[in-house]
Amino acid sequence: MSLKTTEAATRAEARLAPKPEPRDYRAARTLSGLRKNTPGLIVLAILGVLIVLPLALVLLAAFSDSVPRPGSISLGGLTLSNLALLATPEALGALVNSLMVGAGSALIALLIGAFLAFVCARSDAPWRKFIFFIGMAPMFIPALVGALAWSLLCSPSAGYINIFLRDLGIDAAINIYSLPGLVFVLGIFYAPYAFLLLHSSLSMMNADLEEAATVHGAPLRTMLRTVTLPLALPAILGSAVLVFALTMENFPVAQVIGNPAGVDTLPTYIYRLMSATPAKSNQAASVAVILTVALMAVTLIQQRIINKRKFTTMTGKGNRPRQVPLRKMRWPFTIIALAYFAVSVVLPMLALLAASMQATPFVSSMSQLLEANSLSFAKLIEVLGSNDFQLALKNSVLVALIAAFAGTTLSFIASYIRYRTKSKVGRLIELVAMTPLAVPAIVMGIGLLWTWLLLPLPIYGTLAILAVACVAVFMPQGYRGVSASMLQMDQDLEDSAVMLGAGRTRSVLDVTLPLMRVGIMSSFLLFLMLSMRELSASIFLFTSNTRILSILVFDNFDNGQSQAAAAVSVLYCLVIGILAVIAQKVGGERKTKN
Amino acid sequence: MKISIQNLQLKYGSFTAIENLNLDIEDGEALVLLGQSGCGKTSTMRCIAGLEEPTSGRIIIDDVVVFDSEKGINLPPNKRNVGMVFQSYAVWPHMTVAQNVAYSLKQKKLSKSEIDERVMEALTLVGLEPYADRGASLLSGGQMQRVALARSLVMRPSVLMLDEPLSNLDARLRDRLRVELREIQLQLGLTCVYVTHDQHEAFALADRIALLQGGRIVQMGAPQHMYEAPASASIAHFLGVSNIMDCTPEGTATGSTTARITNSELTIQSAQQASDAGASPKVCIRAEDLQITAMPTEHPNSWPGTVRVAGFQGNDIRYAIQLESGPELDALGGLRRGEQHKVGDRVWVTVNPREVQILPAEVLA
Repeated sequence: MSLKTTEAATRAEARLAPKPEPRDYRAARTLSGLRKNTPGLIVLAILGVLIVLPLALVLLAAFSDSVPRPGSISLGGLTLSNLALLATPEALGALVNSLMVGAGSALIALLIGAFLAFVCARSDAPWRKFIFFIGMAPMFIPALVGALAWSLLCSPSAGYINIFLRDLGIDAAINIYSLPGLVFVLGIFYAPYAFLLLHSSLSMMNADLEEAATVHGAPLRTMLRTVTLPLALPAILGSAVLVFALTMENFPVAQVIGNPAGVDTLPTYIYRLMSATPAKSNQAASVAVILTVALMAVTLIQQRIINKRKFTTMTGKGNRPRQVPLRKMRWPFTIIALAYFAVSVVLPMLALLAASMQATPFVSSMSQLLEANSLSFAKLIEVLGSNDFQLALKNSVLVALIAAFAGTTLSFIASYIRYRTKSKVGRLIELVAMTPLAVPAIVMGIGLLWTWLLLPLPIYGTLAILAVACVAVFMPQGYRGVSASMLQMDQDLEDSAVMLGAGRTRSVLDVTLPLMRVGIMSSFLLFLMLSMRELSASIFLFTSNTRILSILVFDNFDNGQSQAAAAVSVLYCLVIGILAVIAQKVGGERKTKN
Repeated sequence: MKISIQNLQLKYGSFTAIENLNLDIEDGEALVLLGQSGCGKTSTMRCIAGLEEPTSGRIIIDDVVVFDSEKGINLPPNKRNVGMVFQSYAVWPHMTVAQNVAYSLKQKKLSKSEIDERVMEALTLVGLEPYADRGASLLSGGQMQRVALARSLVMRPSVLMLDEPLSNLDARLRDRLRVELREIQLQLGLTCVYVTHDQHEAFALADRIALLQGGRIVQMGAPQHMYEAPASASIAHFLGVSNIMDCTPEGTATGSTTARITNSELTIQSAQQASDAGASPKVCIRAEDLQITAMPTEHPNSWPGTVRVAGFQGNDIRYAIQLESGPELDALGGLRRGEQHKVGDRVWVTVNPREVQILPAEVLA
């Protein structure tokens, strides 16, 4: 058919046939629009149940006189009376402590992180590769275990360091159970976050910018002060605020270190209210709202600072920035880095090993540990063989695997809808998926508890709810990982499969998934690692049959069985270490691929 | 096969990427959509492919209505039998060359022997048969381009579309592939749609060029016609005419035109009729149409000036010449064609009135 006849036919048709109802077309359009948005709406609904509903219930409980339960959820009992609690000295004290803990540990983490990043990325100090490892290593020790180790090292009566000081005849015990102790432990275990951010900023910095300063006559010091420092400033501020946010919402360290000292932070205060008999759930919810609002504010500031960074320092140029000669300070700087390694990894690990291996529960002098038969693997082997440990290990691995699989799948579908379709709900999906970044895990845990008691799906009391919690809490990390990998992949690769006759789903399976394999695998492992360490949300969701490793450590410590806690911790670190090695292997594969 | 695009419109929110575009592409024709980035040429191609959903209009490929906003027809890309070579080639690095090429045939569930036969046929056509089992990530840019081409040819598409097919290649390879592409297209009698921003590429590949500006086709025609008679000064500028000046045209008794250049004492004779000029007229002269001599010539358009810059370019020398009457002109002097001039030399610039075009600033489709 030639075009002219087509046109003529159309015109004739238009003249002769009565015009069809335009409403039909509109209906067809709406229907096709709905069909187009259906997958997006389903994902949004899932994320809504995972993330929004728990938060809504916490918010509701904060302004209600009853806890949301099946059949009793109503807006009838709205009250502001829970807020009265916020004016009590306990709540205010916890708030002040939280802020002090956040600020103090952010400062310590920033000083350590900045020092290590500078030495590692921009100086000529020896052993820089090892210093990079030092900067990252504490990340592989769950904060809970780190806190436990430091309480073994520096509890006032039985801490190894204090015993050693006593051996030396020094009568000054270091008391880790104090606010400064809490700040110290959080500071050293969150320093890696500052280190990684600053290291990437310092090593990716466009060398031309610095060289330009040198060319225009600036000596090294002036260059560092006028060019390097301002360029790194967003990363410095961003990482400080990040550590502030992470430590402010940290529950396990605050509980292990702060509780014996009677130092409450907002998370431990929430936990105390929740575990009181009868539970003061509504008060806990109102404190949770305050903590969440504070964290949201801090997270917003952090995102602002980090987003600015993109425009200033990132370049694709392979030019390596200039190294600063340290001269006489080369070895001293490396030794300082090694000292941090001792404090953050070596001493804690030794303490855990010693505690799990010592034959007698009480040690009065360090020399006692050197005597024959004073150390044995008996306790470790006993723990390894115990039902408690084996069940917890199985549960942990199972929860982490389910969470990693479900979380990665959900992240992939969510980022596909956001970045590969024109669905209008894409942005909303992203917003919801990123929300848990600004919600303390402990608040998420309470919300999930109420959500799943309320919903007709009976997963409360099973491992499934722990996996659900891990997916909800770590959704931002998973989503960010998958979408970064998706954005790196050219959309044409998938479209060309469609052009060659494959349907959209077929194309995703044949092309997109295989090509994103490494990115997806990394996100999977990230979910796995984070889920293995999770405690703050799970603490409200476990039952006696669904204890996971972190809960087992926490319970043992809580019951005063510090030797068992130490033994489980050692094995716990071992499991995480194995996972880290696998993750490293996969990451290495990515590097060689590119 | 024939393609017909009727009243095509594409909007992103309030931004209009394509405005009321009508275009018929004949069977076996090579049509080039030419324009600057953001003119809507790639969007038009993606609408034909089905990767983009137009706001309204109708697209007919090979007598099949693949898109009709009024009737709610929108055939998915995999049902349109349209081949597309992406600018990035989009060759899949996790497959071998042969696997890449065989993909569309596997979707059609052909027998293995037929697939093998057609894959080898396509690879031979683009000269890649020795590379069949090589991993696609190990290929050079030119080879990837050929894989992408073979992958689209093997499906025997109703129409083959190529998005900036040569832009990622170095200059030498570009020249060779340009000829090869044209050869394959003519040999197979393929209907082809190219998208490019490079007028040389367009001239070499096209039977017909559709020039797009601001989401509309502003001029359409054979390459030679396009080169000789651009419809507006902005099209002339895009096609490489470098001397463009505002002017006031006045008709003369002989039917030719005298153009007074704005803000200068220069007047230029044009063989064109003054009435053809339209609104806000501009004088357009190609650099290669200007002659530079050390002595004045007899012609009416001969003006004295000084060489300000002389840039050696291999085949010719590019001069910037400051006329005594005001404007600065861009001229090409062939090395073999005549004299050479140095910076500071006093020269005469001459142009035949037939080479002087007086064009409206813009045209609306």
